Amino acid sequence: MTKVDLTPAFLIHRRAFKDTSLLLDFLTLDHGKIRLVGRGLRNSKTQIQVFQHLKISYSGKGDLKGLNNWEADDTPRQLKGDSLILGMYVNELISRLLHEQDPHFELFEIYKNFIESLATIDTLSSRWLLRLFEHNLLQELGYGVNLSEDIVGEKIDLTAKYEYQHQDGFVRSVTGKILGKSINQLLIDDIDNMPDTQQLKVCRDLNRMRLKPLLGDKPLQSRSLFFSK
Amino acid sequence: MIETLNKAFCALPGVGNKTAQRFVYHLLERNREGGFELAKALVDAMEHVKHCSSCRTLSEKNICNICANDVRDNSQLCIVETPTDIHAIEQSGVYKGKYFVLSGYLSPIDGIGAAELGLDELEQKLKDQNVEEVILATNATVEGEVTAHYISNMVKQFDIKITRIAHGIPIGGELEYADINTIAHALSGRKSYN
Repeated sequence: MTKVDLTPAFLIHRRAFKDTSLLLDFLTLDHGKIRLVGRGLRNSKTQIQVFQHLKISYSGKGDLKGLNNWEADDTPRQLKGDSLILGMYVNELISRLLHEQDPHFELFEIYKNFIESLATIDTLSSRWLLRLFEHNLLQELGYGVNLSEDIVGEKIDLTAKYEYQHQDGFVRSVTGKILGKSINQLLIDDIDNMPDTQQLKVCRDLNRMRLKPLLGDKPLQSRSLFFSK
Repeated sequence: MIETLNKAFCALPGVGNKTAQRFVYHLLERNREGGFELAKALVDAMEHVKHCSSCRTLSEKNICNICANDVRDNSQLCIVETPTDIHAIEQSGVYKGKYFVLSGYLSPIDGIGAAELGLDELEQKLKDQNVEEVILATNATVEGEVTAHYISNMVKQFDIKITRIAHGIPIGGELEYADINTIAHALSGRKSYN
């Protein structure tokens, strides 16, 4: 019998389960991604919502445990429009890439900061925030890449151009699209230190390339739904 | 035969083996006539009820009563998630326009996209008909909000007013018992009082 009391968590996804219950996927601080049953929650007046920092208590035997109690530990947050879409995209990434009950303490903080910042920044900065999140997520999952040196061990030159080789790193190349400066900006990980629009697109393509092998044949639904136009 | 009927009742929401057994014995011992009526009504409904070709709600006719009603306002189109939402709005008696039923909400993780919600049909409807206002009445959940956002982006290409139903403190409700998100929403969506 497992019993966990008031652990920090974010709801990632919820779906209907049986008549009045919900199947809930959480990202928790202490136990990584977990799936719980919220019995009778569909009829509850106060609904458990995504993008809200929560504290949850759960218990049970076996794989599927039950949510006993939850409370919001956050100020109210309403993501709207573009931020809402980015939030859904990130939730799909987490849902697809994380294994159940594999704790990532750092990632929880990164996700928390991402959601908090998302509610307050403009569209262009939110794209950069998303690129940094994707990069940090990959780093956390063990698919990090060396951002300070290229493949042969030379320091990344801010003015040079690079190409990305999957899982190996960056190769200096005259025809490369990635500016050394952008690689450095990913390393610095500062929302205010943003590349220009052109390089932001290059970073997007870079992250897509890095994510592709992890996602396999099944493309991200939210990407085709919201970013295809 | 009794066993088969028992299992068949279990298809109803909230009905387990025990309740199904009660239904079966009640019909067999006390109300055979009611049983026949139920069987006939079920067969009729299962055979003839389909989706309205105009608004996608459940109807035994090709075009449902609301869509076929000429007195109703054609210029307003209310988008809802389920046919039961139509029922809820109709009971309030304040809306006189037409509807469109999505039968769900956008959920990328579950693989539910625009095609599953009939959004192509909705787009065609907006092109063909003289709609002046689209009312987004999807649920006040994050999923409902995403769906509303997606539809509003789609509607923007037409010269149509887009509105979203208000969210806030329920009538007869007390602030003390409302959750913080509802209060925040109610405050940000406040109206001038006169």
